[in-house]
Amino acid sequence: MLEVIGNTWRHWDLVLSFTLRDIKARYKQTSLGIAWAIVQPLSIMVVFTLVFSVFAKVPSDGLPYPIFAYNGLIFWTFFANSLTGGTLSMVANSPLIRKIYFPRETLLVSVLLASTFDLGIALLLFAVMLVYYKVALTITVLWVFPLLALQMVLTIGMTGLTSAAHVNYRDIGHALPLFTQLWMFGTPVAYPIRVIPEWLKPLYMLNPMAPIIDGYRRAFLLGQAPDLPALAVSAVVTIAVATLGLVVFKRAELTFADVI
Amino acid sequence: MAHGVIELNNVSKRYRLRRGWHVKSIRDEFERLARRLVRRGPPSQDDFWALKNVTFSLEKGEVLGLVGRNGAGKSTLLKILSQVTVPTVGSFVARGRLGALIEIGAGFHPELSGRENVFLNGSIMGMSRREVQEKFERIVAFAEIERFIDTPIKHYSSGQQMRLGFSVAAHVDPDILLIDEILAVGDASFQAKCLNKLAELKEDDKTIILVSHNLTNITEHAKRVVWLDNGSVRMIGEPNEVVDAYLEHVTSDGVGDVKSTEVNLDPDRDLAIGEVVVRNQKEVVQDRFDRGETALIDVSYVTRRAMPGVVFVVSIQDLHGYPLGGVATDPDSVKVNAAVEHGVLRLKLDPLLFTKGAYTLSVHAMDPVSKRYYDIRRRAARILIDGHRATSRESSGHIHYPHQWEHIR
Repeated sequence: MLEVIGNTWRHWDLVLSFTLRDIKARYKQTSLGIAWAIVQPLSIMVVFTLVFSVFAKVPSDGLPYPIFAYNGLIFWTFFANSLTGGTLSMVANSPLIRKIYFPRETLLVSVLLASTFDLGIALLLFAVMLVYYKVALTITVLWVFPLLALQMVLTIGMTGLTSAAHVNYRDIGHALPLFTQLWMFGTPVAYPIRVIPEWLKPLYMLNPMAPIIDGYRRAFLLGQAPDLPALAVSAVVTIAVATLGLVVFKRAELTFADVI
Repeated sequence: MAHGVIELNNVSKRYRLRRGWHVKSIRDEFERLARRLVRRGPPSQDDFWALKNVTFSLEKGEVLGLVGRNGAGKSTLLKILSQVTVPTVGSFVARGRLGALIEIGAGFHPELSGRENVFLNGSIMGMSRREVQEKFERIVAFAEIERFIDTPIKHYSSGQQMRLGFSVAAHVDPDILLIDEILAVGDASFQAKCLNKLAELKEDDKTIILVSHNLTNITEHAKRVVWLDNGSVRMIGEPNEVVDAYLEHVTSDGVGDVKSTEVNLDPDRDLAIGEVVVRNQKEVVQDRFDRGETALIDVSYVTRRAMPGVVFVVSIQDLHGYPLGGVATDPDSVKVNAAVEHGVLRLKLDPLLFTKGAYTLSVHAMDPVSKRYYDIRRRAARILIDGHRATSRESSGHIHYPHQWEHIR
């Protein structure tokens, strides 16, 4: 783990170059350009609003459903996109991996950073919605930073595992979209956490993303601190995943060039 | 040589060949796991050792040449040297910043501009962005690409892309440099530039490993040469010695393995070429000549019917099979008639104009009108020329023209 942090630090320019490449290349020859970073969560928000709020009357903690859903969606999209991008990053860069040595984890970090850029764009619309729905931010909004940090560590750990697995078994690439979609429904993105039945809650809260997504909502919209005991569990799971992920990744990295 | 810049100790590399060689299936993995747990059964048939017990070391400032045929393990060795992959067995140490002029431009992204790609590729090769910034003008000028630097490189020609890639790689300023086929890039004037760059790097006391099919480049630049054969180091030492041995080996392979007595004429064929023998002026069989000597090439053939108009062609190739020209018989003077069942044609090459090196001869017989081949014998014989090599890169090539110089003004 320390090695990964060290490499990322030493090769920061490379991380930056990869990140810039990803961001620039993603929106080259598109007419909407970076607006695509908003379109994705926005359109899902519209669908969710219709399905969960208008049709199914899912509660939303007393908040207007659109902003309730959008808040969860932008951070979930950030997670899902960086998870997908990170998983595929080794194979997507296989010409490089086959030919040139550089610390492979720089690719994982750069995917995460490029997604962070998209998150920033999506947050612009969120700011507009905050004004429109007259939500007053409180000091609790500062909780967003530790939450983001936790989410990023989780993402790097997850992608360490999945990207190494994907190099060896391309099955991962097929399973991933399904997996992230299922995971989203196991996370309080479209619904509040309190609709979970009590008996299921201990299991539910093992999902490290659950208190994180819930935490953003509390921090931004409800003026509350996150559910700290649940967040502590999430942090433990995250650190376990990250340690395992990076150990596996650094071991598998040695033979990437041979099997990719 | 306890503290070489590069040290390889008994390095071996195994690849697993299996169905779907790129992508392992989970089932294969279970099989392997089972085998490992049980620890018996025959070793996998799918193992392929690309390198076997390779040991050598390099000191600072040394230029090492690497020769070997396709599949001999050169690429695998370069992959280990450039740390793209790790040895299966053995140890490898490199001390210093390592640069590779191998897969130039591998990190290019087609949608990005030349400028953006210079930064991207530069950082992939280990430069900081500031370093790229400082060298940017020189990189672009070297690649001769100033006008298009803000165009997406997907619109570049392949030559432009390679030039830019080479230029970035050449400016990394590493301590150890791996160079593969330096002359494969760009047109003649750009190649000259590349060779000048190589000379410059040599002067700067860089440690260089040079892989090239152009053996003149190897003997000209390298201080030592490693000959890889079948994954093992076959020979290591003084460039001319190793290159000569390598040439000898490569050209002797498969040459002259047909003897005239063995030639059978299949019922469906009209003519077959038999033994091809090279002799000296005194008709003694020999394949080593000095430049300027006379060689006789005797081509035997078998036929069953008169074949007016058949043409025999003897063509000469360099080591890599690259054709250097050939000579054909005149069907009016060389007539094949059935009365001679076993014929021998003699070609006299006088004088031999080739520079030092090894050459192979191919012989074929054909109908010049229908272009139908009666028989082809590739690598039927060889000629080794001793004496001087092509003296420098300006006169590299295989032919030494009879010539004289004089001052006319």
